[in-house]
Amino acid sequence: MQDSASEHTMSGETFELPPQQTRLEEFWVQLRKNRLALAGMVIFGFFLVVAVVGMLLTSGTSPFLDPSLVRLQEKLRPPLSGPNLESLLPEEVPPLGVYLLGTDELGRDVFARMLQGAWVSLTVGFVAVGIAVVIGVFLGGLSGYYGQNPIRLGQVLLLFLAIWMVVGWSRLSSLYLVILGVVVMIVLMAMLLQGRERSRGLLSLLNAQLLSVDALITGLIDIMLCFPSFFLILTVVALLPASIYNIMIIIGLTSWMGAARFVRAEFLSLREQDFVTAARALGVSDWRVIFRHMVPNAIAPVLVSATIGIAGAILTEAGLSFLGFGVPPPHATWGNILSDGKNYLFDAPWLTIIPGLAILVVVLSFNLFGEGLRDILNPKLRERH
Amino acid sequence: MIPFLGRSLVQKTITLFFVSVISFAVVHLAPGEPSQVDPLNPKFTKEVVERFRQQFHLDKPLYQQYLLFYRDLFAGKSTSWKDGRSVLGKICDRFINSLPLFIVGTLITWTLSFPVGIQAAIKRGGKYDRTTTFLAYLLISIPGFFFAYVLIIFVVSTFQVPVIGMTTFGLSGAGYLTRIMDRVWHLLLPSILGATAGIAVLSRYVRNQMLEVEGQDYVRTARAKGLPEEQVHYKHALRNALLPFVTMFGLVLPGLIGGSVIIESIFSWPGIGRMAYEAILARDYPVIITVNFISAILVLVGTFLSDLLYMVVDPRIKI
Repeated sequence: MQDSASEHTMSGETFELPPQQTRLEEFWVQLRKNRLALAGMVIFGFFLVVAVVGMLLTSGTSPFLDPSLVRLQEKLRPPLSGPNLESLLPEEVPPLGVYLLGTDELGRDVFARMLQGAWVSLTVGFVAVGIAVVIGVFLGGLSGYYGQNPIRLGQVLLLFLAIWMVVGWSRLSSLYLVILGVVVMIVLMAMLLQGRERSRGLLSLLNAQLLSVDALITGLIDIMLCFPSFFLILTVVALLPASIYNIMIIIGLTSWMGAARFVRAEFLSLREQDFVTAARALGVSDWRVIFRHMVPNAIAPVLVSATIGIAGAILTEAGLSFLGFGVPPPHATWGNILSDGKNYLFDAPWLTIIPGLAILVVVLSFNLFGEGLRDILNPKLRERH
Repeated sequence: MIPFLGRSLVQKTITLFFVSVISFAVVHLAPGEPSQVDPLNPKFTKEVVERFRQQFHLDKPLYQQYLLFYRDLFAGKSTSWKDGRSVLGKICDRFINSLPLFIVGTLITWTLSFPVGIQAAIKRGGKYDRTTTFLAYLLISIPGFFFAYVLIIFVVSTFQVPVIGMTTFGLSGAGYLTRIMDRVWHLLLPSILGATAGIAVLSRYVRNQMLEVEGQDYVRTARAKGLPEEQVHYKHALRNALLPFVTMFGLVLPGLIGGSVIIESIFSWPGIGRMAYEAILARDYPVIITVNFISAILVLVGTFLSDLLYMVVDPRIKI
C-alpha cells in the first residue's frame, strides 16, 4: 500500500503522476485564481480580528477606549482632529491622542463606537446564521432521510395530549391530569399493539396515515417563505422586549428555509448512493449514517449559503438598528451610529459615511467569499465561467 | 393540467390557513395585553379599556378572537385601533401612493437587467463581464439606507432639488411643467433605491441563464452553419434563455405591497411600507396582521400564476 506514486512502473517505463494535492492545497490553488473571493476572504479575516480586538478594547468596567464617554464640549469633531486639551478632564482625553474617526453629536469617540459595533455585527451574523443552519440541517435532513415515513393519527393525538398536559399543568385540576395521563397510556399501548398485529376496528384508526414527514416539512418551508421576511422580523422584534439575543434568534428562526431545502435535496440523492447502502448493510445506526456519512457530503451548499446568509443577517440587523428596533441604545452598532448621524447629514457627513462604508465593505466581503466558495466547492461550475 | 391546478389550489389554501394563523399569532407574542396599547395615557381609564376590549373582542378566548378577526376582515369591517378607519380602506389609500414607486422601480429593474446580463454573458470573462459582476455584488451588499443618504447628498448638492416626500409643499400655484418635474424628482430616488437589489439579482440571473443556453448544441449548430454572431445570440440563444423569465412576472406580484419600510421612511413617502412601520410603532394590531396576511396571499397568488405561465409558455411541461 505504501509504494510512492511517482515510481510506478509499467512495462519498464516510469510514469510521472501529478503531485498529490490535499484538499486544502487544492482549495488554496482555486482560491488564488479567483481574486475577488480572495479579497473577500482577506477582508473577512481582517474584520474578525478587528471585531475581537474591538470587543477586548471597549468592554469591561474601565475600557481602553470608552464608547459611551460623553464629551459635550467636543461634539461633531471631524475625523483625525485632535482633542481640545484645555476643556477636557484628564480622564476624558482620548487615549490615542486624536479622534481617529471624529466624534458624534454627544462627543463620543466614533472610533470606539465602531469597534464596539463590529463585535455586535459579527455576533449577530454568526449566531443568527448558526441557528438557521442548525434548524435547516435538522429539518432538511429529517425530510430527506425519513421523508417517506408516514405520520400516524395516533402520533398527532399523543403530541396534542402532551401539549395539553404541559400547558395545563398548573391550571387543570389533578383529576383532569390523571384522566389525561390514562388516555395517553391507552393510546400508547394501542399503538404498540397495532404495530405488532394488524387488527381491524376503531383502534386501527390510530394507525391511519395522515401525511408523510416530507410533506409536513416542505409545507412548513412553503408557509415560512410566504411571509415578507424583513417586515415579519420587524414586527416580532418591535413587539418583543429589545435585546440583542431576540434579534439573533428571530433572524435565525426566519431564515433557515434555504439551508433546509439544500440539505433535503442533497439527502434525497445521497440516500440512494452505494456508500450509504453499504454503511446501512454494515449495521451502522441511522444517527451515525446521517452525521458521519451523509452530512459531510451535503454540507458544501449549506456552507456557501451560510456565508452569504451572514451578510444578509448583518444587513438586517443594521436595518433594524436604523429603524430604532435594534440593539438597545447605550450599546453602539453600525446601524444606530448611522441612524443617529443622519440628523447631521450635511454638517457631519462622516457619521453617515463611516458606518455605511463599514457595513458595505464587510457585507461585500462575505458575499464575494461566499460566491467564490460556491465556485470552488462545486467543480461543475468551474469550467463554465 | 386541470388536476395539477386543482392540487396546487388545495395546497395553497392549506398554506393560506396556516399563514393566517401565524400572522395572527405573531402579534400575540408580545408581553402584556393588546388592550394596554397606551397605559400611560390618562384618557385610558378602566371603563375605556373595558369598552375597547369588548369592541375588539379581546375579552374572548384566542381562537374566537382569531375567527372574529378574519370574519371582520373578509367582511371589510375591521378597523384600525389608532384612528378607527377601515383597515382595507387605509391599505387601499396607501397602496395607490406606493404604486408609482413599484411601477417605476420594476420598469428600471427589467429594462436595465436584461441588456446588462445578456452583454455580460456574450462577453464572458472579459472586462465588461467582470465589472458588472463586481457592480452587482456591490449593489447587493450596499445597505439601502446608506445608499439612500449617499444619493440624497449627491442629488441635493448637485441639482439643488428637494427630494423628500411626494411633492414639494406650496408648489400648487406653480406652472404645470414645474409641478411635473417636481413629481419626477421626488419619484426618481426612491424608485432607483427600490430597484438596486432587483437589478443586481436579475442581471446575474439573466447572465447565468444566457450562459446555460449558449452552451447548448443548437447554438453550436447555428454557429456551424455560418450564421452571423448577432443572429446566433439574439435569435437562437436569447429566445430560449428568456423562457424562465416569463414566469417571473408572477413573482413580481408580492412587491406590490412589500413597499420597502426603510426607503419609504427615509423619503417620508406615504406608502404601504411606511404605514406598516407606523402601525408597528403604534401597536395597531389589525393593520399589522392584515399587511402580513395580504403580502402572504400575494406570494401565493404569484407562485400560482408563475406555475400557470410556465405551463402556457413551455409546451414540454404538461403535468
